[in-house]
Amino acid sequence: MSLILLIPLFPLIGFLINGLGFKNIPKSLVAPIGIGASLLSFVFAFIAYSEFKNTGEVIIVKAFDWITIGDLNIPFSFQIDQLSILMLFIVTGVGTLIHLYSAGYMSHDAGYGKFFAYLNLFLFSMLLLVMGSNYLIMFIGWEGVGLCSYLLIGFWNKNSDFGDAARKAFIMNRVGDLGFLIGIFLIITHFGSLEYTQVFEMAKQYPVGSGIITAITLFLFVGAMGKSAQIPLFTWLPDAMAGPTPVSALIHAATMVTSGIYMIVRSNVLYTLSPVTLNVVAWIGVATALVAATIALFQNDIKKVLAFSTVSQLGYMFIGLGMMAYTSGFFHVITHAFFKALLFLGAGSVIHAMSDEQDITKMGGLWSKIKITAVTFLIGTIAISGIPPFAGFFSKDEILAHTFAHNKAIWVLAMLGSFITAFYMFRLFFVTFTGKFRGTQEQEHHVHESPLSMTIPLMVLAGFSIVGGFIGMPEIFHQPHFLENFLAPIYEGSESVLPGFGNLGISHETEWSLMGLSVVLALVASVFAYVVFVKNATIPKDSSELSGVKKILADKYYIDDLYLKIFSNGTSKLSKGLYNSFETKFLSPLVNSTGTLINFAGKQLTRIQNGTTGYYLFAMGISIAFILVFFLGLDVLSFFKNILGGFSK
Amino acid sequence: MYPILFLSFSGLITLFLGFFQEGKWVKPATILFLAIASISAFIDWNKPGAYFFNMLQVNNFNLLLSLVILITAILIVAISDNFKEIEYAHSAEYYAIMQFSLVGAIMMTNFQSLIMLFLGVEILSVSMYVLTGTDKRNLRGNEAAIKYFLLGAFATGILLFGIAMIYGGVGAFEIDAISGTLASNQAQSLFLYIGLVMLLIGLLFKLAAAPFHFWTPDVYEGAPTIFTLFMATIVKTAVVFALYRILHQSFQNMHLSWSYILAGCIALSLIIGNLSAVKQISFKRMLAFSSISHAGFLLLGLLHVSKTADKSLLFYSVSYLLASTSAFGVLLALKNERTENGRSNENISVFKGLATRSPFLSAVLIISMLSLAGIPLTGGFWSKFYVLTDAANDQFFYLIVLALLLTAVGVYYYFKPIITVFEKSDIQEAITINPIFKIIFVLTTLGTLVLGLFPDLLYGMI
Repeated sequence: MSLILLIPLFPLIGFLINGLGFKNIPKSLVAPIGIGASLLSFVFAFIAYSEFKNTGEVIIVKAFDWITIGDLNIPFSFQIDQLSILMLFIVTGVGTLIHLYSAGYMSHDAGYGKFFAYLNLFLFSMLLLVMGSNYLIMFIGWEGVGLCSYLLIGFWNKNSDFGDAARKAFIMNRVGDLGFLIGIFLIITHFGSLEYTQVFEMAKQYPVGSGIITAITLFLFVGAMGKSAQIPLFTWLPDAMAGPTPVSALIHAATMVTSGIYMIVRSNVLYTLSPVTLNVVAWIGVATALVAATIALFQNDIKKVLAFSTVSQLGYMFIGLGMMAYTSGFFHVITHAFFKALLFLGAGSVIHAMSDEQDITKMGGLWSKIKITAVTFLIGTIAISGIPPFAGFFSKDEILAHTFAHNKAIWVLAMLGSFITAFYMFRLFFVTFTGKFRGTQEQEHHVHESPLSMTIPLMVLAGFSIVGGFIGMPEIFHQPHFLENFLAPIYEGSESVLPGFGNLGISHETEWSLMGLSVVLALVASVFAYVVFVKNATIPKDSSELSGVKKILADKYYIDDLYLKIFSNGTSKLSKGLYNSFETKFLSPLVNSTGTLINFAGKQLTRIQNGTTGYYLFAMGISIAFILVFFLGLDVLSFFKNILGGFSK
Repeated sequence: MYPILFLSFSGLITLFLGFFQEGKWVKPATILFLAIASISAFIDWNKPGAYFFNMLQVNNFNLLLSLVILITAILIVAISDNFKEIEYAHSAEYYAIMQFSLVGAIMMTNFQSLIMLFLGVEILSVSMYVLTGTDKRNLRGNEAAIKYFLLGAFATGILLFGIAMIYGGVGAFEIDAISGTLASNQAQSLFLYIGLVMLLIGLLFKLAAAPFHFWTPDVYEGAPTIFTLFMATIVKTAVVFALYRILHQSFQNMHLSWSYILAGCIALSLIIGNLSAVKQISFKRMLAFSSISHAGFLLLGLLHVSKTADKSLLFYSVSYLLASTSAFGVLLALKNERTENGRSNENISVFKGLATRSPFLSAVLIISMLSLAGIPLTGGFWSKFYVLTDAANDQFFYLIVLALLLTAVGVYYYFKPIITVFEKSDIQEAITINPIFKIIFVLTTLGTLVLGLFPDLLYGMI
């Protein structure tokens, strides 16, 4: 029994304790159990790392044989390699901080125990997702996190809007999951296995551009679209902000939404084999990045802005993946986990201070009142805007450099998006923290800094947002790129099918100037935001007061309304039509008459069970005679001949 | 082999234990004896060989079967509750007979010579005739015992006739010798064919497969519930593996001949079992018809001679006996509820309001019903899946379609008790459950779920 098996087990146990006994467990014990489970997983992740470092070989721990059907064998096993180690650290590390934060943030909530149970369940599912050694276990985790996301978005289930948001997230994810499932089935039929090691080994035999691999990767990418909120399946993520803020930070920013990127990096051999899919990934990524960034420009809900920024940043990650710069995409996952968790938790702290107010037009001037939150929020803002030496700069710049080398059109659009990002993030910061206080007197009276259990995670995450980028220094600084060196072994398959697949291939001068350009753009955007929102003290308007392009952006391009009209209403109409014709006229009578028939047959059959022994014996005798006649040949003549032959022997 | 010897003696000791302290040691002693018998099975582990002049054969798979039978017996004895409801009960005798019957059951799974098979069948059957009639004051019980005995004696005659014919055809009783003769490719004597048919019919009767199922509903309903459970689990398991040994290890070369008889019996069992169960009011009678349909499914696993048949059958047996123990166990736990004319109510309506009265029992009942119906996440799903995949390798495609269609009918009647559980009842008081019952229920229910979630734990092990 390997210690690695314990990593997902701790949160499962925590979930069972808090989940089954949430009525009986005293409130003072709930948080220690929940946080403890998460912390233990974090500690054991280190143990797993040291075990892994000893040999440097991929560790596969089989818990047990799970399903065997014909030649297909699916074990329940976990794989520890460079990629899953990194994900383990992010999931359990950020997870622990957010558990800690929740202890303070949710302390007044009636569903305290339930909340921690769900968080632990989420952690368990997420660990299955990143640790599984085959696609099926990843899929279990994938569905598990989807379920937890649903449960937590609708956590305050008294509000029916929140319930709707939860359902929206679940249904949109199901659309993506269907793609993922089809991808898995295709893998089974073509490779006869779901184990990563076996599938990728076999995939190496395929030529670049193979049709079946393209189909598999496209379907898998549909799954990633759903989970990682890419066009066209992105509208659920902003609505998901209905859930408690720690949930937004943990699930809808730092971990779950990045599982699509994890999946693609995990399957990098397959994606490298399919240039078509890579192109699709990159274009969807850049479209999402731009659309979400422009929408974020005119949102006034602090969490909505962050939500759209998450969608947009996820788009950047996919751009990186589409350029085969898997490490860069994954690098951005890591830095994004730090600064986006920080920003969300900071937003939670602001909301907490403002007595549950989320509208930034009613805030302002909070800089001096909640100093720790404000400073850490500024750090997060700088990090996401891509200003050096903060974390976001390095990862985003790496993606942009790869994009420049491969596809100039996407690069231009991505640069534009990056400029917009810096602008709307500084807009958010300035409107919230500078200027005059615009809330009610009661709110002003009540503004206070959050308790230590909430500010400690902020400070830790702020620290990581500052230094997190140093694990991936660009080559031109003549520093080692830790991340790339560390992750190199997992690209062994890609390297063999397409040697030198991830090389940047641009000169140092170009790289310097690209870097300079993006820094200048970010700085210009921030100064621009300063002029508009601090110098001129503009207060953002509600969408109803806007007109033209601004109104379209503030109303999110009316995509939600479009989906409502086409899919929701369309489905309703189709169902109604089918109900009135097919169901009532054909299906119902068919089903009902089947039932009647079965009941009738049952009644008739019970008659032969009449309780008379003699009759039973008679029936048995007849049956025996029938079988003998049948068995010895229906040809009676040969039957007698055989009998005579038998006796004559 | 050792469990057979041990149980023969421990059964005798149990009879004497009945004299001491009003027999209160009998039940714990029986459980202890069965546990020791299970452990004694391991003496032969990894030491395959033959005993008693090549009459019995021991190998790991046979030992595993003995273990399954013995452990099931422990579960059943644990929930047997000392027969308080039977007037003038002689519980020591019942426990002793149960141990003797297990000797027969183990012989049926370990036999090498057909003589031993006959002895095993008879030891088991005669024990069951007696146990069926233990409730002497119950007219239905008496009727059931007489019916069982009359029809059983008829089947025994046929079985013995079959064995004699086979001897006439081959000149040997050992199943290895028979398969050797069959493999030699000579024209076979007609005796062998007739013998095989008769032997098959005798065993199909014991398995309760249609058209030799007529005794089943009456006997299941009339016998005390605990012995009905015994019949549904242990007798079925023993018979199905006796059939496995005969058909797959002895007569495999005559596969073309016997597979059509089996196919006919499977079709009839599935149709009669499932359709007749639809209209039943008595829970035990419903389960009797369901056991006929399960006999059909077990035979489906025998239809195709393949390497995985033993695995599929063992998986099916284990998941079926876990679910049956839960289902009959819940009925036993409720036997003091709503008596009618001094006898416990055994109709499906006894479950009314169970959801509020005892959520625990409801969960146990519901999971067992789902497993019997073959709903995923329970062992019943995988067991059906495995036997159907085995059968799908062969030419009996229509049989699989039929089985699937009738499984849908099965869902209909298995859900009747589930729906009843949630119906409102005028009695509200909570039901107290004996702690031993609780332990057994937790074991069987968890077992059902574990088999459903992680099938390879058992399937991969064999």
